[in-house]
Amino acid sequence: MSNDRENGGYGITVFRPGTPPGVKTREIIFFIILCLIILIQAFYYLFANSAEPFVLGLPFGMFFIVLFIAIEFVVLLLLYFAEAKDVAEGGGS
Amino acid sequence: MSWITVIIIIFIYLFFILFLGSSAGRRRESSVVEYIAASRNLGFLVMYFLMGGAIFSAFAYLGGPGWAYSKGAAAFYILGYCALGLVPWWLWGPRALRAGRKFNYVTQAQLFTDRFQSKALSVIIAVVSVLAFIQYITLQMKGSAYIFEVASGGRIPFWAGALIAYVVVVIYVFYGGVRGVAWTNVFQGAFMIVTAWVLGLYFAYKLYGGPSEMFRQINEATATHLLVGPGTKMSFAGFSSALLVSVLGFAMWPHLFMKAYTAESERVLKKTIVMYPTFAIFMVPVLFIGFAGIMQVSSDALGAPDRILPWMFINLKFPAVIVGVVLAAALAAAMSTQDTITHAAGSIFAQDLVEQLKKEKHTDKQATMWIRISVVGFGAVSYLVAIFGGQTLVALLLGAYGSIVQLLPLAVATFFWPRATKAGAICGILVGVLYNYGIVLQFIPKFWGIHAGIQGLVLNFIVLIVVSLITRPMDREHVRKFVTL
Repeated sequence: MSNDRENGGYGITVFRPGTPPGVKTREIIFFIILCLIILIQAFYYLFANSAEPFVLGLPFGMFFIVLFIAIEFVVLLLLYFAEAKDVAEGGGS
Repeated sequence: MSWITVIIIIFIYLFFILFLGSSAGRRRESSVVEYIAASRNLGFLVMYFLMGGAIFSAFAYLGGPGWAYSKGAAAFYILGYCALGLVPWWLWGPRALRAGRKFNYVTQAQLFTDRFQSKALSVIIAVVSVLAFIQYITLQMKGSAYIFEVASGGRIPFWAGALIAYVVVVIYVFYGGVRGVAWTNVFQGAFMIVTAWVLGLYFAYKLYGGPSEMFRQINEATATHLLVGPGTKMSFAGFSSALLVSVLGFAMWPHLFMKAYTAESERVLKKTIVMYPTFAIFMVPVLFIGFAGIMQVSSDALGAPDRILPWMFINLKFPAVIVGVVLAAALAAAMSTQDTITHAAGSIFAQDLVEQLKKEKHTDKQATMWIRISVVGFGAVSYLVAIFGGQTLVALLLGAYGSIVQLLPLAVATFFWPRATKAGAICGILVGVLYNYGIVLQFIPKFWGIHAGIQGLVLNFIVLIVVSLITRPMDREHVRKFVTL
């Protein structure tokens, strides 16, 4: 996770040089949240492998997946607007 | 004769699409960057449907209800991957876009080939992509052929049904390029979304009085149908690994990856990713159609589960006009995927195979002509495969997926790991692809029901890392260009 020239410039480079620390932290947080959402969807049966109760007309498992799609959408929106703010302020990634 | 009305409506739709797609590219210059990447200036609405059209395929429209009907909760995986598929693109989409502008790429392989300085890699990627595309297209053709078969009451045979829709696609891809693909997808996408909602809800209410009641009855009849795990149609490991491989592999599909080059700006690209989960929500009523069929027809009477959507129409005695509109929408699903794939396959074959292997470069005009010729050639070959080959719909898609996800380590290495070398990249992808084919051809036994693509991916990453570390690093200035994009 380093951006410097360790390993003679061959190290793993996650961020572009000059990315502000605040932006790095934000991107890492969003990355972790989105990974969690992907994993929760992939292992949804650990939480909701059940037909009942029916919520909004959907069996519980299906409702759970749709719920996390909605959460994912909101998270992406937040990420988008956070970045749009950077662009407006002249910084940005 | 109601089937004549149905066919007439389908043909009206086909003519409209043909007109829209062929005229989209008019008054544009004939260049490679226009034909493949729409001169890098597509806006949000068009990008959104361009990407959406690719997922709203025959798999989603016929296979999705088929899964809901025959495998129940396993179909939830389709929702998950539709929603999540573009999320990893947040990492490489904008980087690919910047690389495309800076170094003038129009295909995925050009990026990797330049990074790893290897023509062999270009050839490997081109061959794998084109083979995967043939499998993918075959699936869509079977979809359109079913639709014509149903629409005409069996009067239009399989070979003709597959041919009619595909000829339309090839013509507008030939003339319109990616702009033709994009504008037809806007229409097809909107058309499919509307019909999907109306239909899914209509069936649930008409036949059962509402989705809750429908699911309650299904649950009462077969308690395991709405679950995954042992005793159901999909194992736990099967569900998780299928979803993960689909999410990781989705944006690696060359026809999607290369769309990063078409976006007008990074904001447009990111907006598309943000809005993409809405397509998964549109899939919910599509699955209702399959669930609604469970109490209506036995699987023996139905034959193949993919026929559930057409079956519901024929047997529920709708007016011919409505049947025509719905079947046209299902056809739109198949065609909006066929066009993207055909366009990408032609582009990749001409750019990554022909241009790479030729000694002297073509002029821009000649190169564009080569792409157009490849589009027609690819169309002809996949049509023959569709007519003479055979497997079930979903297995085809998952099998092809297994090989495409093997491009993932290349993207990760290109954008994040400067130490990766040419030898590492080539060995990694070869191991991944060969392993996957080993499993598909059953040389290698399946391991715990985990998706073959994931297993190949692990091996691929290990080989890439180990071989890179034991070979000499590549030129530092060169490789750092790609991680500092």
